[in-house]
Amino acid sequence: MKLYLLPSDNILRFITRLAENGSVFYPVFEDDKVHLNKFDKDKKFEPNFEKIRTVETTKHFLFPSRDVVAKFPKDVQKKTERQYLVGIKNCDLRGIDVYDRVFLNWEPVDFSYKQRRENTIIISADCPEPEDCCFCNLVGLNPFCESICDINFTQVSSGLLFEAITKKGDEIINKMQDLFTGASKEVQQQRDKIRKDAINKLKKINKKSFKKDLPKRVEKADKQKIHDARKDCVECHACLHVCPTCYCFLLSDYKKGKNIERVRTWDACYYAAYARVGGGANPRSKLDERFWNRFQCKFNYFNGYEGIYACSGCGRCYRGCSGKIDIREILWNL
Amino acid sequence: MEPVNPVRNSDKVLDQNQRMGLSNGVNPYYPVPTKIKKIIPETSNITTFILEGMPIKFEAGQFAELTVPGVGEAPFTPSSSPYAKDMEFTIMQVGRVTTALFNLKQGDIVGVRGPFGKPYPLKDFKGKEIYIVGGGVGFAPLRSLFLALLHNIKDYKNIYIRYGARTPDDIVYRRLIPDWQKINGVDIVLTVDVGDESWKDTVGVVTVLLDKIPVNVKTSPTIACGPPIMLKFVTRRLVEAGFTHSNIYLSMESNMSCGFGKCNHCRLGEIYVCKDGPVLTWEDVKDIEEPFI
Repeated sequence: MKLYLLPSDNILRFITRLAENGSVFYPVFEDDKVHLNKFDKDKKFEPNFEKIRTVETTKHFLFPSRDVVAKFPKDVQKKTERQYLVGIKNCDLRGIDVYDRVFLNWEPVDFSYKQRRENTIIISADCPEPEDCCFCNLVGLNPFCESICDINFTQVSSGLLFEAITKKGDEIINKMQDLFTGASKEVQQQRDKIRKDAINKLKKINKKSFKKDLPKRVEKADKQKIHDARKDCVECHACLHVCPTCYCFLLSDYKKGKNIERVRTWDACYYAAYARVGGGANPRSKLDERFWNRFQCKFNYFNGYEGIYACSGCGRCYRGCSGKIDIREILWNL
Repeated sequence: MEPVNPVRNSDKVLDQNQRMGLSNGVNPYYPVPTKIKKIIPETSNITTFILEGMPIKFEAGQFAELTVPGVGEAPFTPSSSPYAKDMEFTIMQVGRVTTALFNLKQGDIVGVRGPFGKPYPLKDFKGKEIYIVGGGVGFAPLRSLFLALLHNIKDYKNIYIRYGARTPDDIVYRRLIPDWQKINGVDIVLTVDVGDESWKDTVGVVTVLLDKIPVNVKTSPTIACGPPIMLKFVTRRLVEAGFTHSNIYLSMESNMSCGFGKCNHCRLGEIYVCKDGPVLTWEDVKDIEEPFI
């Protein structure tokens, strides 16, 4: 695909024009963390495209924690608005890849997800500064995006080097052609170097790879090893709620006037009642079983269904864990 | 029945769902509002709810999510024939949703969502003896299967039903069984764990009826439904008796929310009970550490 340069002076103009057609969310570095903030033309615009993924996952934007999916007795589908997610890193695109497969490819199609997905334009960014928690390279990803997104860009010295990935992305760039210039060989070489450096940094952070037969090892894991791995787990469930690939949910009904709203909320397989049946029996009553179910789901079952791990390597589970359990250490030890 | 192959993107899965009518633009979370036509108590805690008409089309073995408006929904396999005019569910009062359901009256509205899961492979049963084993409220889905078999009874050699309940008063469909027993080609034997003065038949758990199995175990399909503990021992007995593992059909119990293989609640190993089941064969589940919860 053709490359275009958005000079630094035009970044705000580009975002402002996007915002004319919908909400724009972009990464901002504040209080030592990167957040995905909503663009407001009346507020200061200080994006940060170089730091790692934001604290918030993109799942909030496509698969919100609470979503009305049906109304009863008469079903009314609400319309969703266009949203632009700018500066998303490749790890979060693995999450969207997993959701696309589950909610769009696996029948039946989830309308609520489909509507949001179709109204979401993803403008991803290279990730030049991976941190200690990052391990996207271990789950088959690069620290830059080549699919799933509509446009990807690399921050170079003179601005942002854009590459359209989808037709939608191409159209956006074409519509704002006045803001872009051609990409010189020099900036393209800069991109190559940035990408190579990021890969090398990841290799230094994660010196070992996962073994090729990881799914089998997860399936056959020794019970004592599982018990030892989970001994610091305090069942806060943070790892599951911050995970950009977890897609478990629960449906519950609420009265709203004369009508009923069916609400889909995120669920987590660590909850003791998650798999409990009406009569009280529970196939995973022990924490060891629930703890390992997460590993089975991400590295064995989903890999069996789709040939990819349902893990993005974003490290949010490690950062969010009260017991500082590092998923990598557990998988390396199998 | 082909073994479960939980590959999600395969054409096979898509075909199955298209057949289920899930690709036709219907919101899969929306339940079809339906009136309760009649309520028939079967035992002290099991009741049959007859709904007006057929809110969804289903095949024997598939299940539906039943909504009690404002309370929630739970999965049940219909107990009526897929060919009947009205849809019926025979339900035991166990949890929050079923308790709310038991408080509803004739004329109240419920919601029905589905059908979900795979039906019994009736075409594979043709020309064979069918051996059905049930326990407690597990008779409900088996009744739907039985009525579907009766619809084309000439297609099958004989239908055997072996059913157990706790006491004579806990026998589901006691009002219907005498008529079924008169049907040519149908052989029904009952047992109760604890008898009373009126009880003249077998006393003991349902496995006592499986000591002598009058069918060709090499070729006959056997279908079992009941509480997990019963299924565990019945399966053991059926395997010992020599039934082919892929011919032992078991109704698996699991927590379900969405019904169509997305929410993950029902997953048993890599198998989605809702989508790959709810009826699975022993061949499908025998390698799972504890398939009967």
